[in-house]
Amino acid sequence: MDFKRFLKDLQGIVGAENVVYHSDDLLVFEYDGSVDRGMPEAVVFPNSTQEVSRVIALSHKAGVPVVGRGTGTGLSGGAIAPPGGIQVAFPRMNHILEVDTENRLALVEPGVINLNLDTHVRKFGLRYAPDPSSQKACSLGGNIAENAGGPHCLAYGTTTNHVLGMEVVLEDGAVVNLGSLARETVGYDLRGVFTGSEGTFGIATKIAVRLLPVPEAVRTFLGIFPDVETACTAVSTVIEHGIVPAALEMIDALTIQAVQKVTDAGYPDDAGAVLLIELEGLQDEVDEIGDEVEAALWETGASQVRTAEAAAEREQLWVGRKGALGALGGIAPNYFLVDGVVPRTQLAPVLGRVADVSRKYNIPIANVFHAGDGNLHPCLLFDERQPGALDRIVEAGTEVLQICVDAGGTLTGEHGVGLEKKEQMPLVFSEDDMAAMVLVRDAFAPDNSMNPGKIFPDGKKHTPHAHPPAHGMPA
Amino acid sequence: MESSLGEQLARLLGGSVVLPGDGYEVDGLTPQAVVRPVDRLQLAEILKWASSEGVALLPRGGGTRTGLGNVPRKADVVLDMGAFNRVLDYQPADMTATVEAGMTLASLQEHLASGGEFVPFEAAQANRSTVGGILSVGAGGPLSYAYGLPREWLIGIGVMSTQGVSTKAGGKVVKNVTGYDLNKLYTGSLGTLGVIVEASFKLLPNNPHSGMLLASFPTLAASISAGRKLLHSPAAPMGCHSVTSGVSRRLQDSVQAASQDLGLSEEDTALTFAFYSGRAQATRRRMEEAAALLLAEGANVVQRIDDPASNGMLRWLTDAPAEINPNSVLVIKVSVQSKSSARTSAECGEILVSGEKPEQMADPGFGSIRLLWPSSTEGAAEVELSILDAVQQTRQIASRYSGSAVVERCPLSVKRQIDVWGDAPDSLAVMRSIKDRFDPNGILNPGRFLGGI
Repeated sequence: MDFKRFLKDLQGIVGAENVVYHSDDLLVFEYDGSVDRGMPEAVVFPNSTQEVSRVIALSHKAGVPVVGRGTGTGLSGGAIAPPGGIQVAFPRMNHILEVDTENRLALVEPGVINLNLDTHVRKFGLRYAPDPSSQKACSLGGNIAENAGGPHCLAYGTTTNHVLGMEVVLEDGAVVNLGSLARETVGYDLRGVFTGSEGTFGIATKIAVRLLPVPEAVRTFLGIFPDVETACTAVSTVIEHGIVPAALEMIDALTIQAVQKVTDAGYPDDAGAVLLIELEGLQDEVDEIGDEVEAALWETGASQVRTAEAAAEREQLWVGRKGALGALGGIAPNYFLVDGVVPRTQLAPVLGRVADVSRKYNIPIANVFHAGDGNLHPCLLFDERQPGALDRIVEAGTEVLQICVDAGGTLTGEHGVGLEKKEQMPLVFSEDDMAAMVLVRDAFAPDNSMNPGKIFPDGKKHTPHAHPPAHGMPA
Repeated sequence: MESSLGEQLARLLGGSVVLPGDGYEVDGLTPQAVVRPVDRLQLAEILKWASSEGVALLPRGGGTRTGLGNVPRKADVVLDMGAFNRVLDYQPADMTATVEAGMTLASLQEHLASGGEFVPFEAAQANRSTVGGILSVGAGGPLSYAYGLPREWLIGIGVMSTQGVSTKAGGKVVKNVTGYDLNKLYTGSLGTLGVIVEASFKLLPNNPHSGMLLASFPTLAASISAGRKLLHSPAAPMGCHSVTSGVSRRLQDSVQAASQDLGLSEEDTALTFAFYSGRAQATRRRMEEAAALLLAEGANVVQRIDDPASNGMLRWLTDAPAEINPNSVLVIKVSVQSKSSARTSAECGEILVSGEKPEQMADPGFGSIRLLWPSSTEGAAEVELSILDAVQQTRQIASRYSGSAVVERCPLSVKRQIDVWGDAPDSLAVMRSIKDRFDPNGILNPGRFLGGI
């Protein structure tokens, strides 16, 4: 293929100013929030669905693989360009097209930032519920690709539960609508299976999402516990009361120490675990359930319980949790975050076994996690400048995933498989299971030219690079 | 073939699991046999055999929705999944359960009640409807406004492929992005892609208190309009429904049979049902506010009905379409943007079949409206034309409001002329391609799905 000619054609479609191809300019597109790297041949910034369609059709004809890129906050290498591939990114297609308060839905372009949508619709008393911790930076298109979660998906579900419909471009440039503005549609639920397909089916160019009313009352509880086991007992006790909080988050002792160094979260030095619980709903419901939550925290051995209802005060309780991953930078140059999920009742034993891995490899592991839905985020701390450090980290990370799978869990709760975990897929799925998945991909993208090389094992050695904690804002 | 399909199956599996197909007629076609596999091995054998012989299989749960779908191209053997009826795993503290597909919804809920939990979807005839059947249809019940569709609660699935290979997707954890979300693909696929063998669900804790408001309105339009206002107020219910007088009269009859009295007037009355649940105090407060709102919006009477009678009403409303359908010549379920519910209802309410307007059951929060035209005494040919015209008009209205209209019941002669699912969306080619890859020999429910899939 004549690459110069190809570039010229791309420029002809989107305009010369919307094609990046000099290697210096491409550097920022080489990575996402994960440890993987891959330099795209070019990055294109289309202005419209039509342009996306023409870019993809052109690339398809030229045999150039394409990957959609949101804002590069992903944590599994999903947006890393395949060899010889280009990225289609959406800084120009970042408009909230419509907020329909009567239907409680918003129509957005893929480049809209998650938090911007939420902030915008709050003016109308509505909210966009999925809230990945990168929500200040991540885009709705990326959220669709990864089926993004967040602390509040415990009560409200992940992205897939909030997508009504979308317009997508397939690998031959065809523009197809999946789902609809109505809640029920006919035919296979293609919007459901497209969500979380990590860019391998096509690229969403317009998205309709559900909006929910802002709750009447929100109350946040912070409990300080002597250790993670006790805090896990508190979680079980709350759940046994028939309470499903909006969020249920935990950080462990090592994370607390890191947080204490850089923020004014005000945790006691000997705290072994911090548990955050958020309730949302009607005022009297929050009052009634709140009393039960508070009692459960004290009963199960909390040494301190703080509560807040005003937004600013609640924000203060969240400071430690939200700043946790950034704070890890104060105790180690790099971290490797594992996104395994286990049944909630397995949390305490699994964390015990994760501690065994930490001792075995002599790798400090800090735990920051969504306790309510069993989604662990063990962060393996290391210094990439030490020879062989990263290989050992990947090995230890795989062992942690095996522990999750053995406990009835799985590889990833919200970050995606991407490049990072594709070789671990056989821990969970048989060849037959994966073959059925590939059939669906073949139906959407028969030539496998959309984001190829992701999700499924191909035996190609994964060569990760470390990244400093400052990069990542994982959920 | 020299021997009958029943004989072949009997040789394959042993006679005890094979029965004649009499009484299992689907859209005028009588299957040659009914086979009821007792385990995965037998199920795999059946699928391999059917794939190699090109035998059309009709997977069956409780048989409550057998009429849904286009006339099958072929209907050779009914695949009865009733023997797959066990709970495989239930961990109350994890709020998840894994069950076999042939288990009925009623027995699943009964089992979960032992752990103080429930799976938040409803289906008509819960003592017959099975997990596999409900997932295959994918439809929700009266509380879909709050809980969404079954798709929202399915976290893992085990499916036997058309080649007789066991496959799974998802898992037993409540949050999972490992691999493609095939849960969504199988849900609502009407058994056309594989045979659902088991399913894992996330659950909710039982609500400590539930209740409902029953309000009568002079017209359906007033009932829907009040319902919309209620849904967008702080006193919003979990689900809100409006029904026409013909439907409400049936409710009267059925509660009077249980020697209760709803105290409704004799004149034509539309009813609004508003369901509430949660903590006792908050639920009561919302119901008081809601009652005041409904009265202010023109309700003649508002009654508060508490648990357990309110649960009885929820069951009645869930079952009502199944009970009314047999007396209807045409039933169409319209799904539109929720804000267009009132207009859709008003416009569809004027469509006549043999001079009769439809009864309606509307969910203005979810945007779905069931239209039920009563059986007619007219000659078959006139009715047929009238029905075809009504289908056409309903589809035009649905499409005006970004929706769809599925014909759930109509005379066979009409069904042969239409696609009950409506016009094909622009994604039909992808859907067909998926079907061809999952079922290359076209053995599962051939022709019954959208676009003849």
